[in-house]
Amino acid sequence: MGQTLISGLANGGVYALLAVGLVLVFKGSRVLNFAQGEMGTFGLFVAFWLITEQGLPWIVGALGAIVTASVIGLLFERIVVRNMGSAPRLTVAVATIGLLLLLFALELKIFGPSPRILEPPIAGLGLQIGGFYVSPTQILALLTAIGLGLALAAFLKRTDFGLGVLAASMDPSATRLVGIRVGRVSAFTWALAGGVSALAALLIAPTIGIFAAGFMTGLFVRGMAGALLGGLTSLPGAFVGGVAVGVIEAFVGDRFVQSTFPGIQSVAVMIVIVVVLLVRPFGLFGKASAA
Amino acid sequence: MSVQELGGWPYEGYGINLRVTKRKVFAAVALAAAASAPPLLFRGTTLLPGHLALSIAGGVCIALMAMSLNILLGYAGQISLGHGAFLGVGAFASGLLTINLYMPFFVGLLGAALVGAIFALVLGVPALRLRGLYLAITTIAFAFMMEESWFRWEPLTGGSAGLELPRPRVGAFVFFQHADYLALVLVLLVGYWLFDQNITRTKIGRAFNAIRWDERVAQGFGVPVASYKILAFVLSGALAAVAGATYGHLIGFINSESFAYKAQPNFSLLLVIIIAIGGLGSRAGVVIAAIVYALIPRFLEFLQGWELIVGAVALIDVMARHPGGIAGAVRERGTKRGERKARSEVDPVDDDDDLPKLPRLPRPMGLPARPELDAGAPLLEVEGVSVTFGGVKAVDDAAVTVRRGQIVGLIGPNGAGKTTLFNAISGFVTPDAGSARFMGTELIGRSPHIRARLGIGRTFQQIGLTKDLSVQENFLLAQHIAADYPVAKGLFLTPGAEGVERTMRGRATAAIEALGFERFTTTPVRNLSHGQQRLVELGCVLVTAPELLLLDEPSAGMAPAAVESLGERLREIRDELDRTVLLIEHHIPLVLDVCDYIYVLNFGKILAHGTTDEIARKPEVIGAYFGEEVA
Repeated sequence: MGQTLISGLANGGVYALLAVGLVLVFKGSRVLNFAQGEMGTFGLFVAFWLITEQGLPWIVGALGAIVTASVIGLLFERIVVRNMGSAPRLTVAVATIGLLLLLFALELKIFGPSPRILEPPIAGLGLQIGGFYVSPTQILALLTAIGLGLALAAFLKRTDFGLGVLAASMDPSATRLVGIRVGRVSAFTWALAGGVSALAALLIAPTIGIFAAGFMTGLFVRGMAGALLGGLTSLPGAFVGGVAVGVIEAFVGDRFVQSTFPGIQSVAVMIVIVVVLLVRPFGLFGKASAA
Repeated sequence: MSVQELGGWPYEGYGINLRVTKRKVFAAVALAAAASAPPLLFRGTTLLPGHLALSIAGGVCIALMAMSLNILLGYAGQISLGHGAFLGVGAFASGLLTINLYMPFFVGLLGAALVGAIFALVLGVPALRLRGLYLAITTIAFAFMMEESWFRWEPLTGGSAGLELPRPRVGAFVFFQHADYLALVLVLLVGYWLFDQNITRTKIGRAFNAIRWDERVAQGFGVPVASYKILAFVLSGALAAVAGATYGHLIGFINSESFAYKAQPNFSLLLVIIIAIGGLGSRAGVVIAAIVYALIPRFLEFLQGWELIVGAVALIDVMARHPGGIAGAVRERGTKRGERKARSEVDPVDDDDDLPKLPRLPRPMGLPARPELDAGAPLLEVEGVSVTFGGVKAVDDAAVTVRRGQIVGLIGPNGAGKTTLFNAISGFVTPDAGSARFMGTELIGRSPHIRARLGIGRTFQQIGLTKDLSVQENFLLAQHIAADYPVAKGLFLTPGAEGVERTMRGRATAAIEALGFERFTTTPVRNLSHGQQRLVELGCVLVTAPELLLLDEPSAGMAPAAVESLGERLREIRDELDRTVLLIEHHIPLVLDVCDYIYVLNFGKILAHGTTDEIARKPEVIGAYFGEEVA
C-alpha cells in the first residue's frame, strides 16, 4: 500500500513535469506540442553517450541532456513556430508531429534501434518502507518534481519575466503593448519545456529500466492525460493531474498484479482520458468557458 | 428548369433507377478490371518480378491506409495520432476470423471494418463532441493502450509470437503470387477511390469541408457538426482497419509490435506525413505520395534510413510554408491564374456599387412543415434572455419581438451585446435564462443545426462561408438542410441521392445566375472581393428560403453606393420574397431607411424600442447613437 503510493507519487511526479511542460507551451503559444516527450528522449541518448560511453559523471551527462533538449525546443520555436505566427493552430500542431517524427528518426539513425540502460543517479537499494524498498531515483524524482513545481510557481508569480510569461498567455497583444517582448517569452517556454522533458526522462529511465527511440512518447501520453485532467491551461492543475495519473496507474497495476492481461495501466490511463472528456472536459482546475 | 421544379423533388431519377445502377456498376467493374490487368499480364515476367510486385502492393496498402486517414484529417480536419492502432485492430480481427474461424478473406475484411468502426465510435463520441485537439489526445492514448495491452494479450493475439495471416483463396486458387495479390489490392484501391469520390461529391464531403474550415459556419448552414465529425472518424476507422488487414495478409505475419509506435515504420505518424506532403484532402496526391514512399528504398538506395528524416523535415517545412501540401501548391497556382482571368472579365467601373438581384427560390421540400402566419403576427419572441461571460452580463434580460413580414433593426454601440443576442437566438451561446420562441417552438436548448432546419438563416460579421470552397460548393453546402437523403445513400451515391444532388445543383445554378455570378461559379470564395463575398453569403442564406433572416452587419466593408443598393435588396427580401429580417447594423441611415421597428441595445439591456419614427424622435437615442448625422 505505502510502497504503491510512493512509487505512484514518484512516477506521477515525472508525469507532472511532462504535463507542466505541455501546459507551458500551450499557454505560451496555444500549441499542443506532441514532441514534448521525445525532446527528453533525445536528451536521454545524449546523457547515455556522455555517462556510459565517455565515462563522465552522472551530473555532467544530465546537464548535457537538459541543455540539448532545451536547445531543441528553442530551435523549433525560433525556426518553425515563430514563422507560423498567424497559421491555424492545427497546422502548428501537425508541425510538432513532424518534430516528434524527426527526433524519432534521428534517434534511430544516430544511436541505433537497440535498447539502452542508463545507470541511476544514486546507487543503492534506497529506503525501506513497510518491507519494501523505494529506490533512491524514485525519491529523487518525487523531491525534484515538488521542488521544480514550487520553484516554477515562485518564478512565475514573483519575477517580472515570470509575470510576463503569465500575461502573454492571457493576452499576447496587450502584453506586447506594455513593453514585454512576447517572442522572447515564447522562446523561453519552449526551451523550458525541452529542459523539463529531459529532466523527466532522466528521472524515470532508471525506474523503467531500458529505453529506446520513442521511449518518452508513451510517458508523454500519461503527461497529457494529467494535463487534460488539470484543465490544459492550469499549471497547478497539470501538476496535480500528472501526480494523480501516476497514483491511479500504480494502484491499478497493484490491484491487477496477478492478472494475465498485460499493460492494464495503459487501459486505466485511457479510461481517465475518456472519463474527463465525458464528465469534465475543462478539467479539474480549468474554467468551463475555456472548453 | 422552372422555379416550381426547383421547389422540390422528386422530379426525376428518384427511387431505384435500374438503368443508372447498371451503368455505374459496369463502370466500376471495368475500372477494377483495368487496374488489375497489368499485374496479371506481367506476372512472372522480368518486368514484374515477385519482389517488385510485393513492394508495389505494400505501397498500395499504405495508400489505402493514407486514404482512410485523409477522410478524417484532410476532409474533416480532425487529427488522429493512433491510426496505427486501427490498422492493427483490423489486421488482428481479420487474422482471427480467417485463421480460427476459417472464414474467407472477404469476411475477414468485413469483420475488420466492423471492429474498426466500433472502436472509432467508442473513442469518437467522447472526443468529438468537443472542439479542439481532443481527438489527437484520445487517439495517441488509444495507440499506446492497444500496443501495451490488447495487442500483447497472448490468448487473443498471440502476443509477440503473433499470427500468420493466410493469403486469400478462391476454390483451389490461392493468391500466393505477389502479382496476384497486387491485382487484388488494386481492385480494392479502385473501390476506396470510388467511395472517396462519393464522399466528396455529396453533402457528406461538403459538411466535412465546412467543419474543417469553421464549425460555426457548418452549424449555421444546419450541419450537425458532432455527428458528422463522428461519422468521419467511424468511416476512417473502418477503412483503416480494412487497409491494415489487407496489409497483414500481404506480409503474412503480424505481432504485437507490427503497428506499435516504436515499430519501423511508425504507421500512426507516417500516415500523417504522407497526407501532409501529398496534400491535405487531395485524393490523388495522397495515393501518389504513399506509393512513392514505398518505392523510394528500391530506387534510391542511398536514402536507406534517411527517408524518415527527410519526410519529417519535409512535413515541418510543408506545414510552415504550404499547408495545402504539394497538391495544394499546384492547385493554388491554377486558381490564381483562373482568378486573374475572372477578375479581368469583370466590369471594373461599378461592379460593387449596384448590387445584383438576390436569388428568389421557394422553400425546398423535405423541410419541417411550417404554420402559415399572417403578416404582423409574432414570428420570434425573445423574453428575459441573459448571457453571462465570466461575470460580465453581455445580454441582460433582453426581450425582442419580431413580427412576420417586417425588417426589425437591432442597433447599439460596439460591445452592446447585439451579436451575443444573435448567437443566443441562433444557438451558438446558451443563455443563462430566458426563452426564445420561433413560430411557437422553443429554441433555447436546441442545437444550431436544428434551428437552421426550423427556418432561421443567419450571416456572420466575418462572412459565414467556407472560403476555400468555390461559390458553387458554398451554395450546395447552404442547402445541407434540404439534402434529406440518408448518409448511407450518399456514401454509395444511389440514384436517389444523385437525384437530390442534381436538384441542389439546379438551385445553386439558379441562385448564382440571379446574382449574375456565373463567372465565379468555380472560384474559391476567398478570391472574391469583400462585397462579392457578402452577396454570396446572402444568396446562400436565401437559397433554402428561411422564414427569418438574422443579418449581422451586412453593410460592413461595402462601398457607400453599394450600401444604398443594399437597402433596396433588403426591402426586396421583405416585400417580394416575403421574408422577415432581424438586422444588426451600424449604418444608421440604412437602418432608418429600411426598418419597420427598431430595438436599441446598450450594456446588454434593451434601452428603447419602437417604430422607426418613434426611435428617430427620441432625444437620448439620437444623442447617444445617431450623432450629428441625423440630428
